Amino acid sequence: MKNLTGLLVVAMLVAACTKKDAGQTADVQAQGEAKLTNNELKIGISQEFENFNPLIASMLATTYMQRMVNRTLVVIDADGKWVPQLAKSIPSIENGTAKVIKVGGKEKLQATWELLDNAVWGDGTPVVCDDFALAVKIASSPNVGVGEKEVYTQVEKIELVDKNPKKCLFTYDKAKWDFYMMGTFYPLPKALEEAVFKKHGTQKEGYEKNSLYSKDPTNVGLFNGPYLISEIQLGDHVTFVPNPKFYGEQAKIKKIIVKLIPNTGTLEANLRSGTIDLISTLGLALDQALAFEKKIKSEGLGYQVLFQPSTVYEHIDLNLDNAFLKDVRVRKALNFAINKEDLTNALFEGKQQPAIHSITPRDPWFTADPAKVTIYKYNKREAERLLDEAGWKPGADGIRVKDGKRLSFTVMTTAGNKTRELVQVYLQNQWKQVGIEVNAKNEPARVFFGETTKKRAFDSMALFAWVSSPENTPKSTFSSKNIPTAKNGWSGQNYMGWSNAAVDKTLEALDTEMKNEKRIEMVHEVLKAYTDEVPVLPLYYRSDVAVIPNQLKGYRLTGHQFPETNVVELWNLE
Amino acid sequence: MTTYILRRILQTLMVIVILSYVCFSLMTLMPGDPIELMISANPKITQEDVVRLRAFYGLDQPTYVRYFNWVSEIAKGDLGYSRTYRIPVTEMMGPSLKATFVLSMGSLLFAIMVGIPLGIYCALKPNSKMDYLVNIFNFGGISIPSFFLGIVLIIIFSVGLGWLPAGGYQTTGMHYNNIFEELLDKAKYLILPILSLSVQSIGRFSRFSRSAMVEAMRNDFIRTARAKGMSEQVVIWKHGFRNALIPLITIVAISFSSVFSGALITESLFAYPGVGRLIYTSIIGNDFNVAMISFIISIAMVLLMNLVADLLYGAADPRISYK
Repeated sequence: MKNLTGLLVVAMLVAACTKKDAGQTADVQAQGEAKLTNNELKIGISQEFENFNPLIASMLATTYMQRMVNRTLVVIDADGKWVPQLAKSIPSIENGTAKVIKVGGKEKLQATWELLDNAVWGDGTPVVCDDFALAVKIASSPNVGVGEKEVYTQVEKIELVDKNPKKCLFTYDKAKWDFYMMGTFYPLPKALEEAVFKKHGTQKEGYEKNSLYSKDPTNVGLFNGPYLISEIQLGDHVTFVPNPKFYGEQAKIKKIIVKLIPNTGTLEANLRSGTIDLISTLGLALDQALAFEKKIKSEGLGYQVLFQPSTVYEHIDLNLDNAFLKDVRVRKALNFAINKEDLTNALFEGKQQPAIHSITPRDPWFTADPAKVTIYKYNKREAERLLDEAGWKPGADGIRVKDGKRLSFTVMTTAGNKTRELVQVYLQNQWKQVGIEVNAKNEPARVFFGETTKKRAFDSMALFAWVSSPENTPKSTFSSKNIPTAKNGWSGQNYMGWSNAAVDKTLEALDTEMKNEKRIEMVHEVLKAYTDEVPVLPLYYRSDVAVIPNQLKGYRLTGHQFPETNVVELWNLE
Repeated sequence: MTTYILRRILQTLMVIVILSYVCFSLMTLMPGDPIELMISANPKITQEDVVRLRAFYGLDQPTYVRYFNWVSEIAKGDLGYSRTYRIPVTEMMGPSLKATFVLSMGSLLFAIMVGIPLGIYCALKPNSKMDYLVNIFNFGGISIPSFFLGIVLIIIFSVGLGWLPAGGYQTTGMHYNNIFEELLDKAKYLILPILSLSVQSIGRFSRFSRSAMVEAMRNDFIRTARAKGMSEQVVIWKHGFRNALIPLITIVAISFSSVFSGALITESLFAYPGVGRLIYTSIIGNDFNVAMISFIISIAMVLLMNLVADLLYGAADPRISYK
């Protein structure tokens, strides 16, 4: 017992003694950095991942790793532009590689996708049109639970051009402008997966259960990206090794291990103890990243924290069925009363940008032109004027009243989300200054998203974020057809209950508008109505964060749904 | 005795069926479903996709229909398919159960080996300096939350001293030349989670065994045994300890019932791929097949260990018989 106590005391003393000053730590870190070579890189993530079948997988962590082993026809790069990956070029109507056709009076679209000559699966089998056709066939099966089915089923037919197995003529069921946005349309290796589908595809979930992605997940023939999976343990880690048959530049890092550390509080400890070398975008929360950045500076650690504005839009949905919120002047007053610059500076040290509407600055459709959208700069006087005009007069305690009713709202959000709870308090204080009372009521995320927002059961305000992607039509959140009701089975994400006939019409027309300039014009029309009528209070655009070792080169955060692993082959530690 | 055991096993099976239906119904009462999670992760998922997937997974069916379907599949030997991890439940739960068993069993055995002797020692020397010191340690151990202790251990031994890894269950990507190398590597990863988990149990076992032993040593038969000239060892172990065993059997048996239930906080903190995390993820993700199998294992273990405890009472105390 004495020995045990002694050992503990000694351990603590040694730990205390090993607390280094900034200079010392920097030296030690520098030594640690020298150990990092292209032999191995260990990445920490905090989110669970699943089976790698690209048709079935839906988790963010799987998407993160999927891009290391599988590539698609096209993708959005870190500059926000669509670029070809497995395809030689992106077909377009302008260059004649795509055209609108009429079949039985219905407009359809045909596009020719030519695959890279040297694009092969890990076992050397060429990636061909038939691999894409198989993906469409499996995704169309009623026995397979594909998440985003329309990505595949939008392609009615895939034929060979000039009998060339690498030149594919895609016939799309609709003539939509965004036909080329096939960043999540993955091919499946016909040589391996067709037999599985033939054998088990007639049973419900038969394909999922027996696919080689489930049964033999390290089979090299399942992957065509810069890396192959050499080991996978669900709930713990995945090990990647370079794919010698990759069509592009050979990967420099000889082994990448992606390790799941579910507790974000210990990610930093794991990084500093060398268990991991890098914290991915699926790791630290912004407040943790800001705190760690300070430690890096004060202790001279050999890491850097990267912040990248993303396409995630944090906002408050207003329930337009609320009697007080029906008045647009009240909604505008709420918007004018928020000092977003101050909010983002105070809470996020300016690392997240104030939002003006739903489209983020990472999106080519973004505009901050006051001629095109209404901008609400913080203006307490204007907020007070609008409330006065709407008949809300300050009461004895400073809160405005009208017909004996207090101007009081409830803002709901996800319980336990520290950042959102801080934002709530900040907003309560700002609105109180113009005479609006706001109470907070928070719920666990699954109740908040699974019940409250889905059934529009929030009294007045719901604070949350939408994950978007560049040039994503906002139909699901803006169209009045998507107001969830009991009648439509609570489907749709127009939780505000916003209905604007002109917006509905424009959104419908947007799908088939082939001219880019015209499309941008139409989106700006929609944004104009959105900012004029204020069904939503924009707050800020979130940033992605990652912590990387100083010596890592070629690592660029993207801020959108196609993560930095898109160019994993360019990462270099030497 | 055989009739008693058979009757208890039958009762156990009935309880499992009833509780499994209760758990299944409670899970269906929770708001949201796996499709909600898909929507939040994918901006392009359409309403048609949502309706189609709900029908495909049978999430639009009433609870009793879904329960019946699930039981039918179980009866056929198919434990189902994980909606979260997209692989068959059997393939996924095996490694997690094994990992949790190693962690829980390791910490339990360590706690028993340290806690019970400490308790007995203190009971034999009540109010001594050692007794007070162990008492302080016990109260400290019981009071310190495992997540806090875990973080402290990580800061001291991983970040500060760099002696032990901060998380995981083995050195990833390492190839072992022999079983000893593998055991040694994996043991390194178990030290901190086992310490973090067992400190509380040591306190509990030590307190229980001390009070049970103090109580047992006060009995008249102990005085009689000593008066008969029996050695102190015989008095302590044969007469004292055996009589202190009944409450200890209960607490140890209940502790054993949780060896497959996992320790969510410790597993998350040390990134240990055990079943506790799996259960949590499956409940949050409404992954019925995984959650239900985990529930059944937990329920069965509690019932089984209760049965074992009942049988052990008879072995420890001949006055207890089963008819």
